[in-house]
Amino acid sequence: MPAKRSEKLVSFESQALPLMPQLYGAALRWTRNPSDAEDLVQETFAKAFGAWDKYQQGTNLKAWLFRIMTNTHINLYNKRNKDQAKTALDDLEDWQVGSGESITARTVRSAEAEAMDNLPATIIREALDQIPDEFRMVVYYAVVEGLPYAEIAEIMETPVGTVMSRLHRGKKMLRTLLQDYARQEGYELDGEEAES
Amino acid sequence: MKQVDCEDVKRNVHEFLHSELHEDQLEVITAHIANCDSCEEHYDIEIVFNQVIQRSCDEAPAEELAERVMKRLREIQDHD
Repeated sequence: MPAKRSEKLVSFESQALPLMPQLYGAALRWTRNPSDAEDLVQETFAKAFGAWDKYQQGTNLKAWLFRIMTNTHINLYNKRNKDQAKTALDDLEDWQVGSGESITARTVRSAEAEAMDNLPATIIREALDQIPDEFRMVVYYAVVEGLPYAEIAEIMETPVGTVMSRLHRGKKMLRTLLQDYARQEGYELDGEEAES
Repeated sequence: MKQVDCEDVKRNVHEFLHSELHEDQLEVITAHIANCDSCEEHYDIEIVFNQVIQRSCDEAPAEELAERVMKRLREIQDHD
């Protein structure tokens, strides 16, 4: 093992590296598979280490790393063109984005909550991975990381209003997918019994 | 935001749960939920939904990843 570690490496290692589990969690959602997620985490740390001099001590390190990850992912997979096409989704009207609301209007909600609670984690992750990247990542940062909208806006380089609408729509798309799955599994979500 | 109906309250569920509401909005909506079973249920299921998402995303990286990353960082350092 090489003995010499520069001061820069020592400070990076002690501050940034402990955030690896959080970076890996986000990377898994970006890439949707463990091996690409590991590559993305490694690239993100490499880029962050290169830019460590520019990191302002005392500012939000996790958000800084997440932002580097956003750019690294876009560069690694050269996805910019594809992403631009996808953001056309932002312009859709609510009624075009799944039917989440109209269904839930007559749903017995406790039944739905119970059904959701019983869905296997793999099914939830599969559903998450089916919604477009920008929506999935906003849901992830808001729900799993608990980040404020303003921080998510910086990480994703979008206005706060976009974060808000992507969270709403992302959750709606997710919920519609999970409702469909729960119904296939034989859960009754529509409350027929309650109505008769 | 003085008067709210169920639709307003339900539309603000994410802002409520993520502490993104202004104080006056928060007050009005909290008061509404306390007296409205339908909205309360709507909020409850969103809370369950969030917990389910959190649980499903709780995946730890392989232990080797830390070593891989450190190796890479040392290479970068030695290059400098």
